[in-house]
Amino acid sequence: MEFLNLVLILWAAWLVWRRPEHERLAFTLLVICCCLMALTFFIGSHGSLVPGVNL
Amino acid sequence: MRPLTEDRLRATLAWVVVVLIGGPVLGAVLLGVLHGDSPCILCWAERIGMILIALVGLFVVRYGPRPRYLGTAVLIAVWGIYMSLRHSGLHLARDVGQGFSAPILGVHTYVWALVIYVIALAVIGVLLLCVREIAPVEGAREPGKVGRFASGLFIVVIAANALQAFASTGPPPWFGQGDPVRLSWNPKHWVWSFEELEPYYVSLRGSWTIPRPDARAADPDPGHGPLAVLPGITVAGWERIGAPLNGAVSGFARDSATGRFLVTTDRYGVYLLDSSLSRVVHHVVVDPGFSVDLSPLAGAAFLGDTLAVLSTNKSWALLLPSVPAASDSEWRHFLASDDHVGEVGIGRFQTVRAHQMYVLSLAFDPAAQELITVSVPNPRHHQLVVSRFGRGDMTVSSEFEPKLGAGLELVAGRSLADYLVTGATVTGGRLYVISAAYSTLLVIDLQAKTVTAAYAVHGLAHPVGLAARGPQLLVAQADGRIALLSRPSPSR
Repeated sequence: MEFLNLVLILWAAWLVWRRPEHERLAFTLLVICCCLMALTFFIGSHGSLVPGVNL
Repeated sequence: MRPLTEDRLRATLAWVVVVLIGGPVLGAVLLGVLHGDSPCILCWAERIGMILIALVGLFVVRYGPRPRYLGTAVLIAVWGIYMSLRHSGLHLARDVGQGFSAPILGVHTYVWALVIYVIALAVIGVLLLCVREIAPVEGAREPGKVGRFASGLFIVVIAANALQAFASTGPPPWFGQGDPVRLSWNPKHWVWSFEELEPYYVSLRGSWTIPRPDARAADPDPGHGPLAVLPGITVAGWERIGAPLNGAVSGFARDSATGRFLVTTDRYGVYLLDSSLSRVVHHVVVDPGFSVDLSPLAGAAFLGDTLAVLSTNKSWALLLPSVPAASDSEWRHFLASDDHVGEVGIGRFQTVRAHQMYVLSLAFDPAAQELITVSVPNPRHHQLVVSRFGRGDMTVSSEFEPKLGAGLELVAGRSLADYLVTGATVTGGRLYVISAAYSTLLVIDLQAKTVTAAYAVHGLAHPVGLAARGPQLLVAQADGRIALLSRPSPSR
């Protein structure tokens, strides 16, 4: 999923640089990438929002 | 200071993108290419967060500082700080020199991530402070020389990251691993997996979701216990704590030298009672909140003249009675006092095998000069661990899970960890423990680390402490009643 996320980021950056008229699509891709990053982190932390420490 | 115009802001941001992408993001790729370093799944998310902040920077360079860009950048930076704190929390408390992967300039990458996200957030704040009011303008701007360089660098570095991600994490639906293998361009060495999904559960605190033990909920029927066909010990009689206490009994001990008793209560009361259990010799109510968390008290022991009390979280306090104590100086330690008890020390036991497990008992072995606790099981850790701590430094000296002695047999699928030990005492060189679950008395040989005998004790209700008096064992219950048992001989 990290590979996919980076490819989407590349796509968004390419749009911003070379196809600036597609700002809406580029920003949508940015938001999707943020969600994907949060999802993979959540999976990697095994759903435990707090690390193994006392609160 | 001159305020930032939009053009200067966009040029500044282009340089910020160059620094962010050309520094930590490119550096991370080079670490992989040159040293085989592969990020774990959490590192990947943190790296991608930095890339996304840089991408937002490119948006501003191209379209100007629109509010939704700034809001997105702040949100990503805040999320990045959370991610790096969450990630670093896995390793920060390890022993000296330990960490995940190799450090860079003495600092591990997950801590560098925290530094970078904090700097990114600070840079956003500084730029917002400096920028002057900008009227919104529709449409794209020319990125300028620096903007074009930043965009090109971004494309190249992110493409390199994508290649590394393909090799080390695979195409979708695979994703990163908690323990990645070193980077290789040989497909035979690639590991693509779903290991982070197994096992998977969602909770606030993960493996640290450990409920406090509750002995009241334990099944008292010895017939339901994990040991098959136990001999019984009959309660020979009952006594009662006649002295007034401020709550239910939670810990119990007896001093063989003076015959006095030590009783703790569920309201932080510590009572030194005479040998008849009817008169309070000294008492205090410890302050459980400052500075070591002593709630709730669950164990008591005599260390010679010193009184030891223990809370379920393995925090302890040492008290010295009969010392005329200045009430003002002891005020900080006690919520109430008869002014004849002083606090000698306070601290926390650190354990290894009994880590993340609560305790409900405390004993003292005078021969070895060691304090002893016995862990109680929880949904995450189903173990019965005997931990021994040196009296001199209050540090763990040994821990063991007792073996089962000859003649004892477990019911299929059960273990000694099914017991819930709420009282313990050392006498005759052996550790005696009473379990509130299944009302069973266990005899443990401390040298052989073995449960040598076990006895069903019918008629107990919520036992909370155990003490020895000559040939007797005294089982204290939360209601203040004391069951008298004949201490079994060492050999069954």
